[in-house]
Amino acid sequence: MIETSKYHITQAGLAGEQLLVDAAKKNPKDFAVLYDKYYEPIFRYIYQRVDDKEVAFDITQQVFLKALDNLYKYEFRGVPFASWLYRIAYSELNNLFRKKKVEHTVNIDSVSVYSIIEEIQESKIEQYHDKIIEIIAEQLDEDDLQLIEMRFFEKRSFKEIAEILDITENNAKVRTYRILDRLKKIIK
Amino acid sequence: MEKKVNINRPDISSEEILKRKNFDSLLKQYTSIHKPFYKNPWFLSGAGIVAVAAITTIVLKLNNTNTPTTQSVKQETTAIDSVAIANFYKNEEAKPCINPPLTDINIPVTIYKVIAEKGAILNFKTGSKIIIPKNSFADKGGKLLKGEVELHYREFHDPVDFFLSGIPMTYDSAGMRYHFESAGMMEMLAYQDGKPVNISPGKLIDIELASNYTGSEYNLYKLDTLANNWSCLGKDKTVEDKPDSKVTATTTAKQLEQTIEYKTVETKKEEVQKEKNKKIAVLPKLIAEPEKPEQAKKDKYTFNLDIDAKEYPELAIYKGVLFEVGNENKSFNSSMYDVTWDEAIIKEGPEKGRNYLLTLKKTSKKYDLVVYPVFEGKNYETAMKEYQEKYSKYTAALDKRKTEEKKIEEVYQAQLAQLKKQEQELELKWKEQQENQFRQMSAQEKVHRMFAINGFGVYNCDNPLAYPTGVSCTAGLNNEKDIKLMCYDVFLVDKEKNALFSYTKNPVVKFSFNPESKNLLWTVENGILYWLKPEQFGEIENSEGVSNLRMNKVEQKFKNADEMKDFFNF
Repeated sequence: MIETSKYHITQAGLAGEQLLVDAAKKNPKDFAVLYDKYYEPIFRYIYQRVDDKEVAFDITQQVFLKALDNLYKYEFRGVPFASWLYRIAYSELNNLFRKKKVEHTVNIDSVSVYSIIEEIQESKIEQYHDKIIEIIAEQLDEDDLQLIEMRFFEKRSFKEIAEILDITENNAKVRTYRILDRLKKIIK
Repeated sequence: MEKKVNINRPDISSEEILKRKNFDSLLKQYTSIHKPFYKNPWFLSGAGIVAVAAITTIVLKLNNTNTPTTQSVKQETTAIDSVAIANFYKNEEAKPCINPPLTDINIPVTIYKVIAEKGAILNFKTGSKIIIPKNSFADKGGKLLKGEVELHYREFHDPVDFFLSGIPMTYDSAGMRYHFESAGMMEMLAYQDGKPVNISPGKLIDIELASNYTGSEYNLYKLDTLANNWSCLGKDKTVEDKPDSKVTATTTAKQLEQTIEYKTVETKKEEVQKEKNKKIAVLPKLIAEPEKPEQAKKDKYTFNLDIDAKEYPELAIYKGVLFEVGNENKSFNSSMYDVTWDEAIIKEGPEKGRNYLLTLKKTSKKYDLVVYPVFEGKNYETAMKEYQEKYSKYTAALDKRKTEEKKIEEVYQAQLAQLKKQEQELELKWKEQQENQFRQMSAQEKVHRMFAINGFGVYNCDNPLAYPTGVSCTAGLNNEKDIKLMCYDVFLVDKEKNALFSYTKNPVVKFSFNPESKNLLWTVENGILYWLKPEQFGEIENSEGVSNLRMNKVEQKFKNADEMKDFFNF
C-alpha cells in the first residue's frame, strides 16, 4: 500500500487549526496564534537555505506577511496549516535566489553526511564524505536538494516532508531513495 | 545555480529565534498595505460626487454600531457552527474501535450454546466449522468453567458486511496505513451468565473459515480493540472443499438445530408441554368410578366379613357386602365353608377394585381365595340405588373434567402450532440465508481457511492493499439540496476488490480511485446513508482544487445486510 496517513497532527488538531484560520480570516489580529506556533519552524526552514541570519529573519517576517495577506485564499485541504506556510517560504526563497538577491546556501553538518553514506550502505565513510557534499551542492537540482535537506539535514520524517510538499508519504520515500541511489552510482 | 556550502555551521538557539518574533510589527506592515479603500489616492482622484455620496452612505452604515448588521449576525452564527463542527469531529475521533455506522442494521450474531466440559463441533451456515475441545472456557481469572457457555459468532465476507459491522479495515504498520483485502473475517465472543468468557490457557479453538479466496497471499490478523489496530498472527492454511463435503440437507438441518433461535423454540415447546401437564394436574381430583354392585349368585359360596372403611372406601359405601368365591379358586371346596377360621384377612385382589384376596388361617393352615363383592336381596337394591346416585355424580364430574382438559389441550395445541410455525419460518430463513451465502461464494473457488485461536475477538484473513490509484480528488460532500453533509467516515468501494477503503472528511475528504473500476462512495449523516453512484465517478477529474460532490440519499430502509447487498448489486 501505500498511502500514508497524511495527518501530522490529529483530526481534532486539524479542526482546531481550521478554526484559528477562520478566526484570522475575519480578524488579522487572531493570526497571532498561528504566527507564534509556526515562527520558529519556518525560520529554521529558511535559515537552512541562506547564509545570513538577519536575512533569514527578514525572509521569515516576509513569509508571514504574505501568508496573512493571502489568507483569504487559503483553502483547507486536510493537511496542517504549516504545509501552506512552507510552500510560501519555498516560493519566496526561490524568488530571491532567482533574482540573486540572496545567496543560495547549502548548510551541511558532517553527521548528516555520514547518515547519508550509511543509508546508501557504503562502508568507506571518510573517503566519500567530501564527495557527497560536492554532489549535493553542485549536482542535485532544486527539488532533489530540497528532499535531501529536509530528510537528512533538517531530520524531518517522510510524513512531514509529504505534508510540506503536498505529496504522499510513499512518494516522498520513493523520490528520496531514488536520489540516494543516484548518489551511490555517482560516487563509485 | 552555484550555491555556497557551509559545513557544520553553529546552530541557533530557540531563545534567540523567539526573541526576534514581532507580531505587532507584522500586523503594522499588513495594515499599511491594507488601507481602507476610501483612503487610497486612486479612489479620491477618480471618484465623482455620486461616488462620494455612496461612500458617505457606506461610512455612515459602517459607523452605526448600535444596529447589528446582517454581516455581524452572520459571523456570530458561523463562529458557533465552527465550535459545533470542531466538537463533532472530536466526538467522531473518540468513537470506539468497532463503530457500526448504521444503528438499525448490523451483521447478525448466531448464538450457540456449548457445554463447556463437553466441547462441540459447530457448523455455520456458510460452511465454516468451529471445533471447540472440551474444557476450553475459563473465566477472567483463568478458572476453568463448567456448564453452558453462549458462543456469539458471525462472519463478514464482502464490503457491505465490513461496512455494516463498523470493524476497521485499515492496518497501520511502521507509520504506514494499509487497507485490507479480505478473504474472510469472523468474530467470536463467548459469555456465561452475561459475563465475557476467555479461552482456557493452553487451549486452542480451531476455525475452518469458508472463503471463496484461494490465494496464499493472505495473512491472519486479530483486531486489537484497545490499540485500534490489527496484530499480524502469520499465515493461515487453506484447504479446498472436497465435493463430498458440500452441505447436504441433513447437515443443514443439524446446523439449524444448533442455532440458539431453533433451540429457543424447542425449549418453548417443552415449556408449553410442561405447562399443559401442570394445568391438568391442578384440576380437581376425579372421584373413582363407583363399582356397579353385583347380585350374589345362588350357586356360589359367599363370606360375610367386616371391612375397614378407610382401607376399602369403595366397599364401605355399601351396606351388607358379601364376598363371593370366584371360579378361579380351583382348590376351594365346600368343606372350607364349614370351618371356623381363626383369622380372615382381606386384601386387594389381582383386579384392583373388582376382586379381593381373602386369606383364611387356622393353626398352620392357610388358604388364599379370590373373592368378589356381591349383595343379596334388599341390600342389593339399596346398593344399586346408591350406585346410580354415585355414578351420576361421577359422570358429571368426569364430563366437567373432560371439558377442562379439552380447553387446556386446545390452548396447548394453539401454542404448539405457533411454535411449529416459528420453526418452519426459521428453517425457511436459514435456507434463504444459506442460499444467499452460497450464491455469493463461487462453488469452484470455495476453500476453508484454517487457523487456531487462543482468544476471542475478531480475526481476519487479509492481504494489505494499496489505495486505488488513477484519479485523486479533494472534495466536500453535499446532499441533494447542496447542503454540506455533516459526516466523518467516508468509504470507497472498488467492486474489483473485496475491500472497503476508508477516508475521513474533516472538513473535506481526499480520496483516489481507479476510473476503470466500478466505484461507490458511502457516508452516513445522522444515521442516513448517502452514496455516490458509479456513473458520478466519471464526472470527477484529477484536480488540485476542492470539488463538491452531490451525494444521493438512500431512501430505502434496509432491514438486513442482504437488502443492502441487493440495493448495491453485490
